[in-house]
Amino acid sequence: MTEPAVLAEPPFRVPRDRADLQLFLQAALTLEHLTIPPYLTAMYSLRPGRNRPASHIIRSVVLEEMLHMTLVANLLSAVGGEALVADSRFVSSYPAVLPFSKEKVPVALRHFGPEALETFLYIERPAYVAEPPGHPSVGEDDGWTSVGQFYATLRAGVLRLSAELGERELFCGDPARQVGPADFYDSGGEVFAVTDLASALKALRVVTEQGEGADGTVFDSDEELFGETRQPAHYFRFDEIRRERAYGPYDTPAGGPSGPDIAVAWQDAYPLDPGAKVAHYPPGSAVRRAADRFNEVYARLLCVLQAAFTGTPAVLRAAVPTMLELRALSERLHRNPHPDPARRAAGLHASPTYEVTERHFERARAELALRE
Amino acid sequence: MTAGPARPATPRYDVVVVGAGLAGSLVAKRLGDRGWRVLVLEAGTRTLDSWPGHLDALDTAHAALAKVPNAPYRRNPAAPFPDVLDLTGLPDGGYRADGYFLQNGPLPYGSDHLRATGGTALHWMGLAPRMHPDDFHVRRAYGYGRDWPLAYDDLEPHYRAAERELGVAGDADEQRDAIGLPFPPGYGYPMHKIPRSYLDSVIAARLDGVRLREAPDAPETTLRVVTTPHARNSTPNPGYDSGRGHRPRGAVGTPNYGERCVGHAFCVPICPVQAKYTPLKTQATWSDDVTLVAHAVVSRVLTAGNGRVLGVEYQRYDDPASPAHTTRTAEADLVVLAAHAVENAKLLLLSGLADASGQVGRNLMDHPVLLTWGLLDHPAGPFRGPGSTSGLECFRTGPARRDRAPFRVEIGNWGWSWPAGSPSGDVSRLLGITGDPSQPRGKGLFGARLRRELGHFVGRQFSFQFAFEQDAESRNRVTVDPRHRDRLGIPRPVLTYDLSDHVKRGIASAKAVSDQLFRLLGAEDHTAYAPGTSAPGWFRHGDGAFEFKGAGHAAGTHVMGASRADSVVDPWQRCWDHPNLYAVGCGSMPSVGTSNPSLTMAALTLRSCERMHRDLTELHRPAALRLPEGRP
Repeated sequence: MTEPAVLAEPPFRVPRDRADLQLFLQAALTLEHLTIPPYLTAMYSLRPGRNRPASHIIRSVVLEEMLHMTLVANLLSAVGGEALVADSRFVSSYPAVLPFSKEKVPVALRHFGPEALETFLYIERPAYVAEPPGHPSVGEDDGWTSVGQFYATLRAGVLRLSAELGERELFCGDPARQVGPADFYDSGGEVFAVTDLASALKALRVVTEQGEGADGTVFDSDEELFGETRQPAHYFRFDEIRRERAYGPYDTPAGGPSGPDIAVAWQDAYPLDPGAKVAHYPPGSAVRRAADRFNEVYARLLCVLQAAFTGTPAVLRAAVPTMLELRALSERLHRNPHPDPARRAAGLHASPTYEVTERHFERARAELALRE
Repeated sequence: MTAGPARPATPRYDVVVVGAGLAGSLVAKRLGDRGWRVLVLEAGTRTLDSWPGHLDALDTAHAALAKVPNAPYRRNPAAPFPDVLDLTGLPDGGYRADGYFLQNGPLPYGSDHLRATGGTALHWMGLAPRMHPDDFHVRRAYGYGRDWPLAYDDLEPHYRAAERELGVAGDADEQRDAIGLPFPPGYGYPMHKIPRSYLDSVIAARLDGVRLREAPDAPETTLRVVTTPHARNSTPNPGYDSGRGHRPRGAVGTPNYGERCVGHAFCVPICPVQAKYTPLKTQATWSDDVTLVAHAVVSRVLTAGNGRVLGVEYQRYDDPASPAHTTRTAEADLVVLAAHAVENAKLLLLSGLADASGQVGRNLMDHPVLLTWGLLDHPAGPFRGPGSTSGLECFRTGPARRDRAPFRVEIGNWGWSWPAGSPSGDVSRLLGITGDPSQPRGKGLFGARLRRELGHFVGRQFSFQFAFEQDAESRNRVTVDPRHRDRLGIPRPVLTYDLSDHVKRGIASAKAVSDQLFRLLGAEDHTAYAPGTSAPGWFRHGDGAFEFKGAGHAAGTHVMGASRADSVVDPWQRCWDHPNLYAVGCGSMPSVGTSNPSLTMAALTLRSCERMHRDLTELHRPAALRLPEGRP
């Protein structure tokens, strides 16, 4: 295995000024995106039509991660910043170290299985949330200890700057840049515009509570915030797969799930190489071409998101067919035994690598320009 | 004293509703919300309101060779239902009918329905246009068919209520401008209109504003591609309901799913994400006062001597695969038949009820459909978006209705799937597979060439679906034949069906219009009507030959009217002969106009719910007792 990539973390402090806050929000955007390739890899590695309950659970989580990205981008636009997603520096190489946490947990592109699930549970784990930096209980140089602490710090920064600069001054972004419910979203929660302190705090609430659960329960706050059916938060949804049992309405984080059985067929997934690289596929081969094409379509997806987050929200709809293309390309790759003899002997299959380079972005931009 | 066998207690309700489809679900919703105890009896099974049941239906549809409307839904010998595949065309014209319906012609009734919890609206396309005001008095204005005892204005507030309940996506201003539909000032639909498909925009670019005559001596009409209202989740309208907005209702049986249409183009037979409205969504909001009993086939309505009905007799079965069933009864103050136009008529005929006018089962109508299809000169992206997102509305009314049936033109987003079984039909043709199994296979294409050819061909496909208003004729009817019974012993419906010359003239005019549209579009016309297996609706008219399909819009079989002498139900859909028996649904419609009828049926049903509520209230008023004269 290659050495895991380390993501840049903002300084260990409550954001001091607008520039600081924008830096934090860009880091949040990167963090939310970091989870998407591993989740997609696990979901698409399921053999088509098998493991429907698990597939459905992962799908619902990955869609909500996309919602979180969008809400963070809205918040960034609202405080006068500009999201950056269509950039090779935005896409981490995998495996990557999960940022903002004490333990150095590697996040790799794994097929559906116990290892992938352990990683997902770690990512979404409702940690004991340390107080933000500067609090008497926190040392000067403790550094970040959890994603929850990072978001609590972001929240403290938003509150502080809103008080210092005034709400209207802080939220000076152009409202036309906000992605709203009209621009498409189809799962738990809802996309909404961030234009003031209340909507900013609501966005941060959605991002944290859909992942970890609200008020120390296993459930998210979709019911309270959006009038939707409440669901277990991401951590507990993944836990349902791990324990092959659903959470019931009276279950607690401590007690675990006591609802009905969930059938999980652990072997019904294509085994993949967690260190997959395009370079492992022979140049000129069909697998190589498909893997390269995948990275290009992923670059195109990020170009669409870039445009949606920075001035033309309506193009978000174009992300939907692009996602379907990614699914089809993933399934095509997975059907091929790995071209490398040693890996093939280990039963591994070819898979997308998410190595999105500047070259892919150039080609994606050219392709989008042709469609104009 | 020895006790005899205990008589099972007959349960008593305020209302018994027969059928858990669109109309029945709305009645149960409205009356249950008002605290009445409602029993809903459903002849079919109840699997589709669970997520595994939905996935099973989806798998069945994906595996089916012919994606017909009933493809996803399991056959049920205890509550059989028709399938469009029951009809087979004969080599030289004419047809053969197998399956649930007995048909004695002269033309085939080409539509199906579905007996299962959720009903036929499980497989509807989801189009929800309003009827045109002119559609309510065709006899008075144009001299054909039958008139409603109501006008558009009587129904308008109920149209709004139905649009709320179904969550309709549309553009009221466009409907007002393009069709002349009256809306209250400032009215907006619960959701923004479903976006146009790319095909719509290609066709609009070439047709919008073009003036056309359907015949050399006819007046000019201006063409305009108009977005169709849909009962399908799009973007909620934040200004709806005085700014309270609208919350889309997603899938039944799983959380946070189906809150937006994602353009599967599989609305018929089943929306994979359940973004389309189905009655299951209404059922999910029923109050605790509503009891649903599935596997309960109502066989008779029970009456007292005084014309009032007492309740219903039904056959309860447990296992659809077994003939075992038990006969039970349920009593109620009010009985509401909401079992589909054909089933309602069947039930009234079997019960010998409501037929003083002699009209029960008569006036059977559908929207006969003429398909035309061709290839555009460049790819136009079929199979994206719902089955149809726009249409041409300029032939829906006007003086020409005197001479020929009016029609609505749907722009079909699903290529040639209806007329030619695309894309699988195209694949087999390119592989050299002929329709004749006795012939050896021809030379076919393979690999990259096959893919290229297929993409080039399928990508340019489009079709027009012309839907005609069929006029009410007493000769088109449903009867029952005791010699032909289903497995529970219930006589099956016999259909007598034909198209009037008025409709046939409409079909001929539409074909002439289609020819002009193809020329204007610069499209290759592949339309051809020949008798054969897949053309049971082939017929000759004048010096032309045509083939029509059914739209699945059965209506007219318990027709509504202003007088008990010539109609079955009154303007509240109450049987004239039985004050506490309602027959609701499209069966009440005296004329169907050119709009898909579900929204109108929902509006009419919601209007009737108000009357039912008043009827039930009046039953519970204390009687006024008067003491005899002279007593202290």
